[in-house]
Amino acid sequence: MSKFLTIQNLDISFESNNKNLKTVKNFNLNLNEKESLGIVGESGSGKTLSMLALTRLLPKQAAVSASSIIFQNKNLNELNNKNFYKEISGKKISMIFQEPMTALNPVHTIGKQLLDTYLYHNNESVDKGTKRALEILDAVRLPKYKQRMGQYPHQLSGGQRQRVMIALALINNPSLLIADEPTTALDVTVQKEIIQLISELRETIGMALIFISHDLGVVSQISDNIIVMENGEIVEKGKTSKVLEKPAHPYTQGLLNCLFKLEDEQKKDKIENTPIIRVKEISKSYKLPAKIFKKPEIIYAVKKVSFDVKIGETLAIVGESGSGKSTIAKIINGLINKDEGHIEIKGQKIDNINVSDRAKLIQPVFQDPYSTLNPVHTIGYIISRPLMINENKSEIEVRNEVVKTLNLVGLSKDYYNRFPNQLSGGQRQRVAIARAIILKPQILICDEPTSALDVTIQSQILDLLSDLKAKLKITIILISHDISVVKYFSDRIIVMYNGEIIESGNSKDIISVPKNNYTKKLMSSVFSLKK
Amino acid sequence: MLKFIAGRLIVVLSVGLTLSIVTFFLLNYVIDPAQAIAGEDALFEEIEQIREQYGFDRSITVRYFEWFTGIFQGDLGESYYWNKPVISLLVDRAPETITLALMSVSVTILISIPLGIMAALNPNSLIDRMALGIAVTAQAVPNFWLGLIMILIFALAFPIFPVSGDKTLFHFVLPSIVLGASSVPAVMRLMRTGLLDVINADYIRTARSSGFYGWRLIFNHALRNALLPVVSVLAVQLGNKFGGSVITESVFAINGLGRLALESILGADIPTVQILVFVFAIIFLFFNLLADILNAYLDPRLRL
Repeated sequence: MSKFLTIQNLDISFESNNKNLKTVKNFNLNLNEKESLGIVGESGSGKTLSMLALTRLLPKQAAVSASSIIFQNKNLNELNNKNFYKEISGKKISMIFQEPMTALNPVHTIGKQLLDTYLYHNNESVDKGTKRALEILDAVRLPKYKQRMGQYPHQLSGGQRQRVMIALALINNPSLLIADEPTTALDVTVQKEIIQLISELRETIGMALIFISHDLGVVSQISDNIIVMENGEIVEKGKTSKVLEKPAHPYTQGLLNCLFKLEDEQKKDKIENTPIIRVKEISKSYKLPAKIFKKPEIIYAVKKVSFDVKIGETLAIVGESGSGKSTIAKIINGLINKDEGHIEIKGQKIDNINVSDRAKLIQPVFQDPYSTLNPVHTIGYIISRPLMINENKSEIEVRNEVVKTLNLVGLSKDYYNRFPNQLSGGQRQRVAIARAIILKPQILICDEPTSALDVTIQSQILDLLSDLKAKLKITIILISHDISVVKYFSDRIIVMYNGEIIESGNSKDIISVPKNNYTKKLMSSVFSLKK
Repeated sequence: MLKFIAGRLIVVLSVGLTLSIVTFFLLNYVIDPAQAIAGEDALFEEIEQIREQYGFDRSITVRYFEWFTGIFQGDLGESYYWNKPVISLLVDRAPETITLALMSVSVTILISIPLGIMAALNPNSLIDRMALGIAVTAQAVPNFWLGLIMILIFALAFPIFPVSGDKTLFHFVLPSIVLGASSVPAVMRLMRTGLLDVINADYIRTARSSGFYGWRLIFNHALRNALLPVVSVLAVQLGNKFGGSVITESVFAINGLGRLALESILGADIPTVQILVFVFAIIFLFFNLLADILNAYLDPRLRL
């Protein structure tokens, strides 16, 4: 039997500054009809590029060469662009992308976008197209799908948009669907629904699936076979269960180890029973723009939230985007003001502590190390700023302190004069942590400190944080949506939903026996390795 | 949508009211109206007599309300210089200016939109460079100079177009090109950057992955998004053309509102000048409002 799709010796290179940068080398792929294949790798591994090369969506600067690409007995290399777009794109091979917020055209209705794609490839009437569009919207289980046809993308939530995106990809019944990190930008509970939807639709339509992801857990759930990529090359391929059970390549082993580590629990330090932070009934609300003849609507970001944090403990606040967890972090950090309630730190009301003293007590670490470091300053300058502002020290003392802190976060003093754009994401996050700990604060508030990082880097950063916690005796408040990170790292968990705490307790108890329905849903949405 | 328009309309009306106050007070403080009517060599007694006769001795606030309420009753005042009601001056001169404005904006659209699209589709190509060259040149060349050069070429060297007067539409061709050329750079560059941004947007990648390519991709999926900023600027430019054609109208001897404004200013004809300033402002505001409404129509996210 001839193969459904074979790619042989695919190379992709980019021309930049007269240098030829090879980003994908010798990529080979064999796919059977109705097979589900996962491509795993970290950012920059070439997993997305190789699929964009197949669908001819790479930018013009990319040079693509392949000795052969055969799809359904057709040599795609012999097809010119025009015929490829007409016969293959969106008809035989469809793609869905990571970012549902920007992947749909904001100025056209959902209905028009679906209809356009259908009529373009099918010589049918508008009536028939509308019928098909409704049918596919129903198939992707878009709630109230009949009314959605006339709506615009901005009127839909992220999960709903991704459903529309899937509908758009499937409206012409393609025989291959390529999904590029389709759930990465979504909330965890929504993630699970979308994954289930894709794998169900694959079976009902009978199409093949290539699923690109950095998340081994997700890929293990959905794919029969797996390809692992590193630095533009395939380092391992085979049956999913085999690869996960006996990874042959050190890189795959590394990826798996990180995952296992996150599944394990870390040894917990002793916690003193005295609280360092007491939060009492704090609220924060926002007024929506007033409408004529109506009272302005008030939305609570945080509603009467109370909790304590004990000395030396790691408290995790979990919840989806919009649940109010980051608002709490910002209030404690003093970045925004609360409306009601009060916060005590070491028995002192936070409003009575001046800014400089507060900075020495609490420091933040933020999510995105790519935008939190000022690109025009050197690493040394960035780390030294808190010292220069808050303490009266000589230049040499400051310099020594910065070098010492750099060492503490695992960076050599060579980094002192470098700029943020010369560093990788993991290194940048280390710099952000160094900046936070240079004043030797007693509390560190980490707002999604690892979400923007690759898995292997994630576990390194978490190890660094727990190492620092033991060395410097810091109390940590960890804000995260990632249950595996929370499980690995925290002593106690607070679950938030719509600005309120709906459950709290020891990590172990909450993860193994959640009581609240929402918590149960949250915990079950974590993808563990399926073997 | 209706609420949106109503909101914008309130803003437009309040700006218009403020403008009427500012122009009236400024003009009547800067120039002594009685002196202006009497002429430079008039005796003090003559001026005082005119001041009483025309009621200029009353307070400026009273005269403003008289003038402003008059506007709504169709009484725009009497021109001292032309010895005619201002309204009949406007009615006489407006058609020329409207023709010129519409034709010159058409010239702008016909040149800048296709050029901007071509430039965006082939960034850094020869077409792009040439478009940039045209833009820079058009930006640098003053209106009156371009007008004179046009007259030199198309009237003296190759007598194709008439160069002076406003009898037929044919008379408006050269002035429209001159006036339209001045807006080409801004609109073309905006079209280019707008379309370049859109082409690299995620939703265009989605459309390409669905099989759309070539002109169909550009027209059905990209152009509307890229036109958003262009529409606002075009509307503002159209407003500009109504007021800013003073030089072009003078060079080509077109008896439009621009030339009327110039002559009235030289004749210190306060009633005509203050109405013209007010009318130009209202036209400008109107086109801005139109731009907002068009934008809201094109972009559903703005319909709040």
